[in-house]
Amino acid sequence: MKTIGNRIQEKPWLGWVLFFSTMIIVFLLGMLTYTIIENRTAGQFAFVSTNTLDPLDPRAEAWGRYFPRQFNTYDQMADTTFRSKYLGSQRRDLLADNPKLVILFAGFAFSRDYNLSRGHYYSVKDVQQSLRIGSPMEKGDGVMPATCWTCKSPDVVRLMDEHGVDEFYKKKLSDFGDEVVNPINCASCHNAEDMSLTLPLPTLAETFKRMGKDISTATHQEMRSLTCAQCHVEYYFGKDNYLIFPWDEGMTAEDMGRYFDKIGFADWIHPLSKAPMIKAQHPDYEVFTTGIHYQRGVSCSDCHMPYKTQGGMKFTDHQIQSPLNNIAAACQTCHRQSEAELIRNVYDRQDMVYEVRTRLEDILVKLHLEAEFAWKLGATEDQMREALHLIRHAQWHWDYVAATHGGSFHAPLELTRTLGSGIDMAHEARHKIARVLVQLGHTGPVPYPDVSTKRLAQEYIGIDLDKWKADKAVFMEKVVPEWLRVAEERHRNWDELKRDPANAGDYIRRR
Amino acid sequence: MKRLLKILQFLTPPPNWRVPVIILAGMFVGISVYAFIVSNAVSYMSDDPATCVNCHVMGTQYATWFHSSHREHATCNDCHVPQDNIFKQYYFKAQDGIRHATIFTLDTTPEHIVMHEAGQRVVQANCQRCHDHTNQFVTSGHVSFDHVQKGEGRLCWDCHRDVPHGTVRSTGSVPNARVPVPQSPMPQWLQNITKQ
Repeated sequence: MKTIGNRIQEKPWLGWVLFFSTMIIVFLLGMLTYTIIENRTAGQFAFVSTNTLDPLDPRAEAWGRYFPRQFNTYDQMADTTFRSKYLGSQRRDLLADNPKLVILFAGFAFSRDYNLSRGHYYSVKDVQQSLRIGSPMEKGDGVMPATCWTCKSPDVVRLMDEHGVDEFYKKKLSDFGDEVVNPINCASCHNAEDMSLTLPLPTLAETFKRMGKDISTATHQEMRSLTCAQCHVEYYFGKDNYLIFPWDEGMTAEDMGRYFDKIGFADWIHPLSKAPMIKAQHPDYEVFTTGIHYQRGVSCSDCHMPYKTQGGMKFTDHQIQSPLNNIAAACQTCHRQSEAELIRNVYDRQDMVYEVRTRLEDILVKLHLEAEFAWKLGATEDQMREALHLIRHAQWHWDYVAATHGGSFHAPLELTRTLGSGIDMAHEARHKIARVLVQLGHTGPVPYPDVSTKRLAQEYIGIDLDKWKADKAVFMEKVVPEWLRVAEERHRNWDELKRDPANAGDYIRRR
Repeated sequence: MKRLLKILQFLTPPPNWRVPVIILAGMFVGISVYAFIVSNAVSYMSDDPATCVNCHVMGTQYATWFHSSHREHATCNDCHVPQDNIFKQYYFKAQDGIRHATIFTLDTTPEHIVMHEAGQRVVQANCQRCHDHTNQFVTSGHVSFDHVQKGEGRLCWDCHRDVPHGTVRSTGSVPNARVPVPQSPMPQWLQNITKQ
């Protein structure tokens, strides 16, 4: 057989044919390789969000431009019509609903004004309108520190970046009135680059570190609760109003009560009983972790932000609300029972916890008034010390339950247990005060004042609500519009800077 | 051995052709190896769903599968290639793969991707492979693809329309989905330089 070499030597044109066909094959191979690279490069941009957001941008609308579905559902939080048996998203005057709270919080801003908050969408407005912050007419006015803003707005993340965390806390709430205007939104939980969950506020990471845990190793499912735990927790203001979560001893009412005793902390001295009180904020995460849903690996978002589909998109419903308003997506994803039955299951638990809570509440009101009566009869501090300590902790246990949102569903067992030990302490305190009264020569019943309505109770503890309301009206008319005007100008400036592509992803620090 | 030598002898170019042939052969081998690497050719031997998004047009299918309950139990191949024997499995994979690669390379990917007939036959069999226990008393659970063609029944997904990929599937229906498409083919050192 002739080799190709021999044939080519006989017919040189055959060599050229082979040469050119190989060249064409190599050329086509090159083309193929090129398309592979081209397609791979195209893939880089196929699912990438090409936003130019500054991670510090605190405006929901700015983020919403790139994520219309999430933003639209977020925006639905503006609707406050939903009302469940006990809570809901309506603003409600809890002091009018339950005047006993006026006596329990006497001497503290909550006896003046205590409304049911209306959800994230209103987080800043609710603060501005609250009588609790007073009516600071000038920067630096008022008693409330800037720390109060911490959980209300992603503007705070921006301000902490600008001033430093310590310096931010040292300022007054009124110092940042024109800076903190955007309610809790996208930037409170999301990384601007890839929208992964993140913790922009420092306190939770600081707390984990103190407890010897590394929060950066949290899984995505854990983050779906931890982003909420940035704020939905018990906290107090330490030295220079530094925000601290008191979890060093543990997360139960007993653990945190022990911690507060150890550091000698009191939010205020109760003017009637003179007990050094602790106000519970909203230990939602702490209580949730003792409940069955948490123990089964369910996160906050699973029920409060259930998945939703629109077209081919499955996404998280950003209308953060009571699952009772969305049983189908929130509960029935796992539970096969009917909507009516599931709602009944929730209300049963709430009814039972509420029943026990009300018993403790009634005893606490009597306790404060009885202690006041004992002081009036001339009781000494030595006589009262033990009873006051018990009042402090009994009310702390009550508030741990009363202040937590949804706790009677999240962990009914834990809350009933907490209330049980609260009732025990409260009875113990009544017993001690009764002995003091006997020692002071009083054996008859204690004369209780009539504090059965909000107005009567507030008059009894000396709150001139009309004056507070009048001041507020002036504040809302003169100060708040000016805050908003300054903020709007700042937002316009950012938009101006954002238009320049050179500032993409970094236009906040440039003002 | 003798035969191999013979083939080599047969292919050996005459002396005056050797230099250009060596150069061309080198180019051929070089580009082939490069094509092998940038196309992630080795990954096609595996069952990893990430392999299927080597072509980003499958991102929709990946994302919808990823958000379905099937994610926990079945990969792409568990449903979309035959599972009765390994030869059939790789033969089908090669056949389908070449078809897909051709469509993708020629940029003729349809906006709405649907299974061709051979694929439907395989998926129907695979639905039954896993779900036969739950369906043992369900007549419609035993309908084969051949039955369906004769009009004697329906395919599983004629009723279970959104399992597992949802009802809306176009190449643009899952913006911002997290899909593990291959990283940029540019090596890191070159990226660092070009970043300035």
